[in-house]
Amino acid sequence: MTEPPQAPAETPQAFAETPTASADPPPQTPAQVRRRATLAGVVVSALLIVAIVLGSRLLRDFDSALLPYAVATVFLAFGVAYRYTVWISAPGARRLFKQGWRAFFSVENFRRAPTALPKMIATYLGFQKFLGARSHARWAAHQLIFWGCVLAALITFPLTWGWFTFTSSTGSGPGYEMRIWGFKVLGFDSLNVVGWLMFHGLDIAAVLVIPGACYFLWRRMKDRAAITGQRFAYDLVPLIALIVISVTGLLLTFSSIFLHGGGYEFLAILHMVSVVFTLIYIPFGKFFHIVQRPAAVGMQLFKYTSRGKAGTAAGAAATAAGTAGAVVGGGAAAGGEEGLLTCRRCGEPIDAALYVENLQGTMRDLRLDFDEWAEYCPRCKRVLRGNAYLTHIKKGFK
Amino acid sequence: MMGRTIFIDPGRCIGCQACVSACRECDSHRGKSMIHLDYPEEGRSVASLPTVCMHCEDPVAPCAEVCPADAILVTADGVVQQADTTRCIGCANCVNACPFGVPKIDLQAKLQMKCNLCYDRTAYGLAPMCATVCPTGALFYGTLEELRAERPGVQVADSFTFGSTTISTGVAMVVPADKVQWPVPGGLPIVEVNGVDVR
Ligand code: SF4
Ligand code: SF4
Repeated sequence: MTEPPQAPAETPQAFAETPTASADPPPQTPAQVRRRATLAGVVVSALLIVAIVLGSRLLRDFDSALLPYAVATVFLAFGVAYRYTVWISAPGARRLFKQGWRAFFSVENFRRAPTALPKMIATYLGFQKFLGARSHARWAAHQLIFWGCVLAALITFPLTWGWFTFTSSTGSGPGYEMRIWGFKVLGFDSLNVVGWLMFHGLDIAAVLVIPGACYFLWRRMKDRAAITGQRFAYDLVPLIALIVISVTGLLLTFSSIFLHGGGYEFLAILHMVSVVFTLIYIPFGKFFHIVQRPAAVGMQLFKYTSRGKAGTAAGAAATAAGTAGAVVGGGAAAGGEEGLLTCRRCGEPIDAALYVENLQGTMRDLRLDFDEWAEYCPRCKRVLRGNAYLTHIKKGFK
Repeated sequence: MMGRTIFIDPGRCIGCQACVSACRECDSHRGKSMIHLDYPEEGRSVASLPTVCMHCEDPVAPCAEVCPADAILVTADGVVQQADTTRCIGCANCVNACPFGVPKIDLQAKLQMKCNLCYDRTAYGLAPMCATVCPTGALFYGTLEELRAERPGVQVADSFTFGSTTISTGVAMVVPADKVQWPVPGGLPIVEVNGVDVR
């Protein structure tokens, strides 16, 4: 499958001076976007290298055995920053990105809804309630993978960067000290529960991830909806990678406890290769949704805060379309909610007025010059097209 | 460019809802129908119009272009897929931008869904569910030659106008022979129908 082109490569001269174009930023050429994305990637990965050097107390705490992992995270930082920049340079994402942040810093957000954002973050990003509405089983499996990966990332990233150290004043335990950036934060006994948890955090993460990933793998083999349009590299490789990482990780523990380190070196290499591959793959495949998903919160917050702006929205939407937009203004308007745009034909609510206005801007950026059409509900669009067919093409459909 | 696709002939549609029921059986959205059946002149005529995704080709898939999450993918053979479940953030951009009023959205699940030309079937050369069950041939699946073999001399159009924009589509519509030179009007700008203001 190919992704549809997001921005026209060049602006045709005939379109350069549309009346509304002046208000919108000019579309960027792909070369400009690539340049900016490369710059973002370089800056972010350089910052990470600096953070690693400083955080590991000028590499004194850096564990050279973990070097390949650390290098992979630097590539990851570059890839994510690059892909992210390319992503938010496309018209739809760029406008949403801006509006999401604008909504976050808006008076409405702080005045009306100081709790809205944390709540949205918890329900969308943490507990992923929307997945429950899709399927309970998928929600449960995804939660297992999600929390497993969060746990694993919280442990391994700082560890590979040399930010965490575990030292024992008595040589080999059982009393340990955990230090972050050289500062002692926690002292614990490796023989008690805290100690056990500290040393087996990654095993717990693996135990969470394996059943979740196996469920999804099973579903990819059996569920006909999942199989439709499924691609090996996009849909199956990430699951296989998660399973390989988790299983080899568990086997490492198994080897050191029960086999006196038998096969440890081979497993360690396999584990390292799978982790490094997965980290580098994150920006380019399915895992990129981890980076994209927070846009859902920005989108929701934007819609949420724009509901309060009935008056301005009415004017803005009307000017945007160059026509009298039908906005239900004021809280008392019959049948409508504040700040909602309603269908110009049937009066059914469409969406937050400012949201539709934002979409119309996106459509103009993309030279989809029928943005006025966005003020009609989908059903009215179909009915009006049916009417036009009846009138102009086949009278009475005969 | 028309290959094997759906041809819609609203003149043959009797509004029986068979396609609506059959669409529910499609594996990629089991239990939910994605086809729309509208009665444009409800109360005045029995005219009915089935709407499937038109798989817009030029400009390619406006729904996908406005999607902020790159969730709508287009296959190499030009089929515009429904939203990728891992990417879609449920923003409804596609719903409001689609000129044909096609995509549906589940706001709880934060997920867009739409007709994907029964990709699980058409990718293997089978007809989509709707065209398989349509009793009158209002929804026909095949090549233009196959359509003409059944309906000699029939003309089809695969471009639609919305204001100043013309959109050419992968799915085509049957039109009377003398009208084929035009793109089919898409409903914008809004016009009067039989002297009745439909605005
Ligand atoms: S008809 Fe609508 S949903 Fe289908 S490809 Fe065109 S814009 Fe997208
Ligand atoms: S609802 Fe989903 S598919 Fe539609 S535009 Fe928004 S993110 Fe894209």
